[in-house]
Amino acid sequence: MASLKLISTFLKINLQIALAYRADTVVNILINLMWLGWELLGLSIIFSNTETLAGWGPGELIALLGVFRLVNMLMAAVIWPATEKFNTSVRDGSLDYTLLQPVNSLFLVSFSRIVVWRIWDLILGIALIIVGIQWSGGVVTFLNLIYFIFLVLSGTLVIYSLWIVLIALTFWFVKFDNNVTILQALMDSGRYPATIYPPWLRLIVTYLVPIALATTIPLQGLRGDLSGRQVLIFLGVGIAAFWIALRVWKAGVRQYSGASS
Amino acid sequence: MLRIYRRLWQVNWAEQWQYRANLLMYLLYWLVSPIVYLAVWTTIANSRGSVSGLTTNDFVTYYMTLLLVDQLTSDITIHILAYKIQDGTLSGELLKPVHPILTNTLVNNIAFKVLIFIVLIPVWSVLYLLFQPAYSTVTVQSVLIALPAILLDFGINFLLGATLTCLAFWTTRVFSIAEFYFALASLLSGQFVPLQLMPPIIQQAARLLPFQFYIYFPVQLILGRVLPETILSNYALGLVWLAFSYVLFRWVWREGVKRFSAVGA
Repeated sequence: MASLKLISTFLKINLQIALAYRADTVVNILINLMWLGWELLGLSIIFSNTETLAGWGPGELIALLGVFRLVNMLMAAVIWPATEKFNTSVRDGSLDYTLLQPVNSLFLVSFSRIVVWRIWDLILGIALIIVGIQWSGGVVTFLNLIYFIFLVLSGTLVIYSLWIVLIALTFWFVKFDNNVTILQALMDSGRYPATIYPPWLRLIVTYLVPIALATTIPLQGLRGDLSGRQVLIFLGVGIAAFWIALRVWKAGVRQYSGASS
Repeated sequence: MLRIYRRLWQVNWAEQWQYRANLLMYLLYWLVSPIVYLAVWTTIANSRGSVSGLTTNDFVTYYMTLLLVDQLTSDITIHILAYKIQDGTLSGELLKPVHPILTNTLVNNIAFKVLIFIVLIPVWSVLYLLFQPAYSTVTVQSVLIALPAILLDFGINFLLGATLTCLAFWTTRVFSIAEFYFALASLLSGQFVPLQLMPPIIQQAARLLPFQFYIYFPVQLILGRVLPETILSNYALGLVWLAFSYVLFRWVWREGVKRFSAVGA
């Protein structure tokens, strides 16, 4: 309950910051829409040259784009701004103030800074998913929809866990402030189904930097490509990854000794 | 003049060398999308045999060549100049008796390219082994014909990029405006897909606009896929764009500097 109240306070503060720069917010949304147009034009060029992309039709790729935008939104609205603040706070020692609060430090580090206008992508992403599913004409069963929702959650949890491990490394290597670049760089691969990538790249985006777990896999669940057992395994992976990440975070905080000492 | 350039080279090389770790990161970012597009189009070509006459190998060679050409013709002026205009540090450079953009910024651009290639060449070699492109259409002649084009294309890109950056004299939102330019460029330069696969209307526009010179034209030249008469007409068009961007840049720069001194005083 307390954490919900905190999140709503964070949202309020960050909304006030955004409102101070209204014109920027409008421009940012316009740019975001332009990129959406770009992405859709790209898909239309692809499908003017072929009927399917490795078994995926245009509707399914639009839905995938929607999922990608959801995950990307979480990154851009919450994770990247948090990283920036965190890296500075380890270097200059201001993390002390976060650790002294009577709230879970990881929670504070993750959610205290939110780029509010990005939440717009939430609406856009969901709209894209619905339009995409409608277009593909496939019948989505209730079970597959549940699979989809849980797979998006567990995939996002895996990426979040990887992020925690990457930033926790800063506790040991203070100068490691490029810690999340690998995650940011590979993000773009989530726009297309991982099944089309050459094996080495597929391995990277599935196991090493598992963007596909949050984009391709959930959509496969929605299409009914996955069995119940596979879905359970992916959920297990999400929970296990988060458990490991929490361990690493705790070890990191113990390692941290402030900037002045 | 040559001495000035040599001295500027030393300064800018040292400056870029400081940021070599960031350079690796930048390279990683930039590599992902061409490889993703390569995967998309080779998948389609594989399943259908060919796409509008382009085979799987045609796509592999296209994107593999693009990786080299894009770095040769690309321009980073906005990243090294916009902040100087915004925070006023440009004043120091304006005092010097040479044009700061056509000397300092230009040399910095080139130093960045050289440094990038030191990292890019090993990475490219690994990708070469992974994708195994068959470069049977590339000849000494086709590369020689492409070299002046690459120089010309960098010239256009640099001058238009500098012009765009100069908008920072008028607005603080220069990066937002630039984003529209980048989106247009990545679509019409052939970065996303070889231009012949575009819808006809976009293709016709792309053939007249300067963006095709950033990637599509030089890549096709290297691959020996351009008809002789098109080579000539495109070179002519490229020269027209170069002259146009030079005039445009000189004009925007002159007007901008006037404003700059007005603000700074």
